[in-house]
Amino acid sequence: MSRLREQQQAFAEAIVEGKSHAATAAMAADGLALRSVALYRRLIRNNYTQVLKITYPVLHRFTGDGYFGVLARGYLKRYPSTSGDLFFYGRHLPAWLQQLDAPLLLIELARLEWACHEVYQAADSSSLSPDQLQAMVSADPSRVRVQFHQTARFQSFPVPVHRVWLALQPGASSDDVVDLPLPEEETGVIVTRSDGKVQVTPLAWLDYRVAEVLSQGADVASVERMAVESDPAFDFTRVMTTLLSLHVIAGCSVEEDL
Amino acid sequence: MSVQHPAPIPAQAGIGLRAHHFREILDAPPPVAWMETHPENYFGDGGAPLRILERIRARYPLSFHGVGLSLGSTDPMDHAHIGKLNALIDRFEPAFVSEHLSWSSVGGRFFNDLLPLPYTAESLDHICARIDEAQNLLKRPLLIENITRYLTWQDSPISEGAFLSEMAGRTGCGILLDLNNVYVNAVNFHTDPLDMLMAIPAEAVWEIHLAGFDRFGRMLIDTHGQPVYPEVWGLYRWAVHHFGPRPTLIEWDTNLPPLSVLVEQATQADAILGACHVTTA
Repeated sequence: MSRLREQQQAFAEAIVEGKSHAATAAMAADGLALRSVALYRRLIRNNYTQVLKITYPVLHRFTGDGYFGVLARGYLKRYPSTSGDLFFYGRHLPAWLQQLDAPLLLIELARLEWACHEVYQAADSSSLSPDQLQAMVSADPSRVRVQFHQTARFQSFPVPVHRVWLALQPGASSDDVVDLPLPEEETGVIVTRSDGKVQVTPLAWLDYRVAEVLSQGADVASVERMAVESDPAFDFTRVMTTLLSLHVIAGCSVEEDL
Repeated sequence: MSVQHPAPIPAQAGIGLRAHHFREILDAPPPVAWMETHPENYFGDGGAPLRILERIRARYPLSFHGVGLSLGSTDPMDHAHIGKLNALIDRFEPAFVSEHLSWSSVGGRFFNDLLPLPYTAESLDHICARIDEAQNLLKRPLLIENITRYLTWQDSPISEGAFLSEMAGRTGCGILLDLNNVYVNAVNFHTDPLDMLMAIPAEAVWEIHLAGFDRFGRMLIDTHGQPVYPEVWGLYRWAVHHFGPRPTLIEWDTNLPPLSVLVEQATQADAILGACHVTTA
């Protein structure tokens, strides 16, 4: 192993584990070595906390600096960065909160915010063209499959966590005050992007299930059948209109006759 | 090395492009000559950041200032990172692409900070090989920035200025001379900043960075969260006269002020550059 690699490994150990002997022995004997390692540790820790604050702004606002800071330090120990690109650094935070037995609301809020984070920079895609729409409407629904934008994420939650997310958006109105604890109520939302901004739209549970199953590649006829079995009055056209208005449908494929 | 030289950025002042100022810049483009940004902030597949950068690029020359390549690391080069960087370079055609004389990862673990190398013959060979590799993969010369460091290695016999100079000579890379870093290091380690600057050949300096620092006990910390300090303006005047006018960036990353403050700092830098142009004309 090269001397340089030994030095880098010793420095890394000093920062991560506080095993500063090997690293400080290699540093100048000017009395600064221990303080230097501590300073780097602090700067690095602050950087990662800042990244998590940017990725999870609502969770940060909800929990405050103190709790969030402790959470961020624990997360860094458990899930150190493995890339020079910090976009994915916070992806394990929902799992980390679960491991900590954190309150359900925080876990679900983190899941929702990670979906928002992904949607913010997901690939752009065009909307359903009039020709595609016509083909979809006129074809046998058992042969039609709907393709959703990469900017659309379907997420279900055991509580209506989107209410907290909406209430804590910058500029939210006082009408958005949410009573806690949230009721236990299975909730589905679509996370989308419009004009570069992330939007979270709650759907009625059966509407959500229809959209989710369509997004998993099921054909239109079987999804409609599933919905009507649950609710004979279910209006499939209404749901498709909602999805079109949310601009989440990118296209459709119509299976040809063999 | 087979590389193409980039189109030049004028020897005028530019500002760092931060998301905080996107709206202001789009609504009323400020009178600055160019802008610099961290390419890693645009590694996503789509969305607003890329669309905004396209609009800004249509108006200003652009420079990419990378922070994630970990050039000095003894780990293998991150080809996925290089691939994303190359795609952005193809799309936005920045005039400069820069990185740092530092490492930030070892054994697959990243610290996402700019950690100092010891200035040894081994480090020099290593960083030169890595710069060659990166320049070949990116098909262009890089600019490499001197960093702030908060420690010195015991075994570090080469001076920073000589190290940078030799690195530039061997690889053909340019030096991105960060004068705030020079000043912070000089104060923290009780050295003369001019000793470092005098060791660098003028032709190797392609760009200059100016920024502000904060105090942490007796140490100065390179936070990029304050205006440029008078002492650093003093170094800048010296550097512009010694090296000649160079594209100069006002860097501000934390505690971001209104855009007008950055523009005012850029105007101040332009005045110094202008005075030098007059003197040398």
